Parts: sequence; C-alpha cells; structure tokens
Amino acid sequence: MHKIILAGENSILIYFGDKIDNSLPKNIANFANALKNQFSDVVIDLTPSYTSLLVSYDLSKASYFKFSADVQAMLEGFEFSDSNQQSNLIHIPVYYGFETGLDLERLLAEKNISLDEFIQLHSSNEYLVHAIGFSPVFAFLGEVDIRIQAPRLATPRIKIPAGSVGIADSQTAVYPSDSSGGWNIIGRTLLDLSLDKPENLEKFKTGDRVKFYSITRNEYLKFGGEL
Amino acid sequence: MSFKVIKPGFLSTIQDYGRLCHGAYGMSQSGVMDEHAFSWANYLLENNFNNAVLEITFGGVELKALDDMLICVCGADLGFKINGQLAPIWRNIQIKKSDVLSWNLPIHGIRTYLAVKGGFETPVLYGSRSINLRENIGTKLAKNDVLSCQPSSGQLARFMVPQYLPNYDHDIALRLLPSYQYDIFSDSQKTLFFSQSYRVSQANDRTGCRLDGAPIAIKKDKMISEGMSYGSVEIATNGLPIILLKDAPTIGGYLKIGTVFSLDLAKLAQKQPNAKVKFELMDIHQAQKERLKFNQFFEIEPNS
Repeated sequence: MHKIILAGENSILIYFGDKIDNSLPKNIANFANALKNQFSDVVIDLTPSYTSLLVSYDLSKASYFKFSADVQAMLEGFEFSDSNQQSNLIHIPVYYGFETGLDLERLLAEKNISLDEFIQLHSSNEYLVHAIGFSPVFAFLGEVDIRIQAPRLATPRIKIPAGSVGIADSQTAVYPSDSSGGWNIIGRTLLDLSLDKPENLEKFKTGDRVKFYSITRNEYLKFGGEL
Repeated sequence: MSFKVIKPGFLSTIQDYGRLCHGAYGMSQSGVMDEHAFSWANYLLENNFNNAVLEITFGGVELKALDDMLICVCGADLGFKINGQLAPIWRNIQIKKSDVLSWNLPIHGIRTYLAVKGGFETPVLYGSRSINLRENIGTKLAKNDVLSCQPSSGQLARFMVPQYLPNYDHDIALRLLPSYQYDIFSDSQKTLFFSQSYRVSQANDRTGCRLDGAPIAIKKDKMISEGMSYGSVEIATNGLPIILLKDAPTIGGYLKIGTVFSLDLAKLAQKQPNAKVKFELMDIHQAQKERLKFNQFFEIEPNS
C-alpha cells in the first residue's frame, strides 16, 4: 500500500494511498512527525499533500538508496493509529452575500437552490485540511456537498480579494491574500489569514478541521468587513 | 547603511540559499536562481555559503556605496561598471564610499549577483532573507532603498580561475532524473521529449520556465496534487514542459516526467527566451555524487 518513489536529487515522495481519504491527512502528519524525530539530522523538509509526503534530505548524511530503505523500514513498522492524535477545529465566519460572493448568484441559479439552503450546505459540514499549498496559508478543505460542487472557472480571475471563500469541485478554501484564481467565490471572511500576521503561517495544518458559520451583512460590516 | 539604490532595475531582489523547511506551510523554497554564481561570489569573499546577495536580472541597476566595502560580482555579464568604468566580475574588489556601481544590459547571461563581505543584512523573513514576490514575502528593489551591510576592507584579491568561467551562450543539456510519473509516459512520448530541442519561452520567471516545442499528446488525467521538488518538470495539458523553479508552488497536480539536476538549473537561470535546451537522462548516483562534491567545495550545509 505504501510506495516510495524518486522525486529529486535529494528528495523522495511517499504515497500512503491512491485515493483521497479522510484518514490520510492525519496519518501522513503523524508519520511526518515521527520521521522528522527519528531522522532529525537527515530530514530537511516535509511537504504533505492529499495522499503523499515529499521529503527532502541532506545528501551528506544519506544517499537515495540508504534513505529510501530507512524510510521503507520505518513505514513497515509504523502504527497509524488514531489514538493520542490532536487536531484543531478552526471556526471561520463568512458573509455569504452577492457583494462578496462573486459567483453566488450564478451558482444558486445553476443549482436551483435558495441562498439559505446553499449556506446550510456549505456551513454544516466539518471539513478536513487535506493539503496546504498554492500559496502559504491556503488550505485545501474537503469535501463539499455534491449539491453545491462546481468546477473551476474557465478563465481565472486576475484578482480575488483576500478572505474570499471559494469552491472548486469537491474542495473549498479561503484565499488568504489578494490573488489570482479560478475558484467559484461564494462569500468572504473577516478573518485576517494573510502573512501580515506571521503567526498565520501555522493557522492550518493538514489533518485539522474547519467549520464555516454564516454571519449577516450587518455583522460583517460592523467588524470591519469591506464590500 | 551601505548601498543606496539610485536605479532599481527591471527585477532585483535580495536572495540567499532559500527557505528550506517551510513546505508544510505551503511556502516556496525561494532563494537564488543560479546557485553556481551565487556560491562563487560568497566563496571568493570567504563568506558563509548562505550569506544574502542581490540578484540582478537583466540590469538597469545603479547603486551608490555609502561605506568602503569588499564586494564580489559573479554571474551574468551585465556590463558591470564602477564610476562608469568597466569593472571585473568573478573576483573580489575593494570599493570606496561614494562609488557608483551600475549594470546596464545583458551581454552574456541574464542574472548576476552582487555579494558583499559578510552578506546583506536585510530582514530575515521566515528563516531566510529571500524575497518571494509571488508570495508577497518582501519587495523587489525600489529607488532610494538602502541595503544594509557592514563596511569591510583588507582582503587579498581572490578570483575565479579563467578556465572555469562558465560560458552562458552555449546551448545546454538539462540532465533529468527519472522521477515522479516518468514510468507512466510511453516510449514514444519519451522519445519526443528527449529527441527535440525545446526553446525557452517568454513565460520564464523565478516560478517556472515554460518551454516551447512539439507538444506531447497526453491524456487529461486528473492527478491528485502532490509535493513538487525543485526542478521537477510538469507536462501541462497543452503537452509542453514547465520546469518548476525556486518560487514555484509547493504542490501541484500535473504529470511530471522527471526532475532536472540542480546544477543544470543554475545554467538554465542564465538563459534568455528563445535559447535552445535539450533533456537527457541522468542517474541518481551521479546526481548525488556531483551535488555532494559541489556542496562540500562550497561548504553548503542545507540542514544547518
């Protein structure tokens, strides 16, 4: 089930499965921690994603064959148990409105559902952080209810305001800072997730959980939200 | 205080060896594009391998020295001048307060490195001084910026032996490790990939280098996003390669045919659009041996 492949002159990629699965992010995070502990002088960096972990290592400490063999041995004996695991639950307030949700009106029409139903479907799920990437603090959250899934826009927008909440297929995410992007924008949060607050770098970790809740237009404006 | 920016140029940023352990946060490794020229500059100044330098792309830069300093310029020949007189590169030079350093336009190569004894002392951001414009980490050089570093003097001239000077005008072969989805590509796809000369396209920056050429027919299989290493080569849906470089996103979902050896990426960093590049296979043992030798020579300790 596990597979190790070559990724670069000083990196390997470990696959923990071949399908997106809710148990994987936590397992991968646990294994990454254990690997870093056991090979602290060898491992340079760890990049977890949905089903895999990219590991870069110090060439002066281990060769590809030596390091792959060590990792393989560790995988074989590793307990991927769910005990003593902690994951954070992060709550994110969202104003789901047509001024902030640039694609919301279109999605409601396409899906033939009311705004309340849409909000209910998006905010009732507890999402799992499957991966972090695209840009720092951009957490890929899954899975979105099938009734509100939507493919990426054919033409990405040049600028999406920071805090925008988007949907792409079965994923949802918050854009931490102004950026270009092709996700369907359904609302905006007041939370500053940008690196203007450097502690935001650790805001999400793979395996964490996220729940959105709806705030009104007045609440959004009262706390400094911009339209 | 040490340099005042009179002209910032097209794209000039402070860079060091990079931000090596932030992959889990989705943060690129960043750092210098040409590790070879960068390492020589620090080596000739007897600096630490990781001291920050100014990466100047294409030129258009003018700086005024606010102190006496020992400097070294390595990399592209961008017409480097001190007080309007052509000055040597690939060797350390003592400059005086009020000297004006300038780089006009690319003659050979496109990226050059200004190193100072002791390195630039710009703010450390997430463990590195490297600027990443895509991630809004720091800013590029702007007029009237002051780049701080310590005054310095008194070192004997050290220089690169002429026979080792790189020639940036040669066509290059990028040696490729058969990594990631290499085995998924068919023999005919690989033949097309390895037999043709690609051209560096206009879309070529610190994030990635897109190549133009004959497209490889690929199925639009959706892949699950995974960590992408420096130099990995995506085959985009249009069938053309994109080589992922220092400021690339950490994860992505295109098929990757392999990973270019880092010291060949240093050569690629000096290529203008339209330059010809070919790929050839490289064995992991050879890559590790060559890279280790490089690291040992320049006392690079990536895990320090």
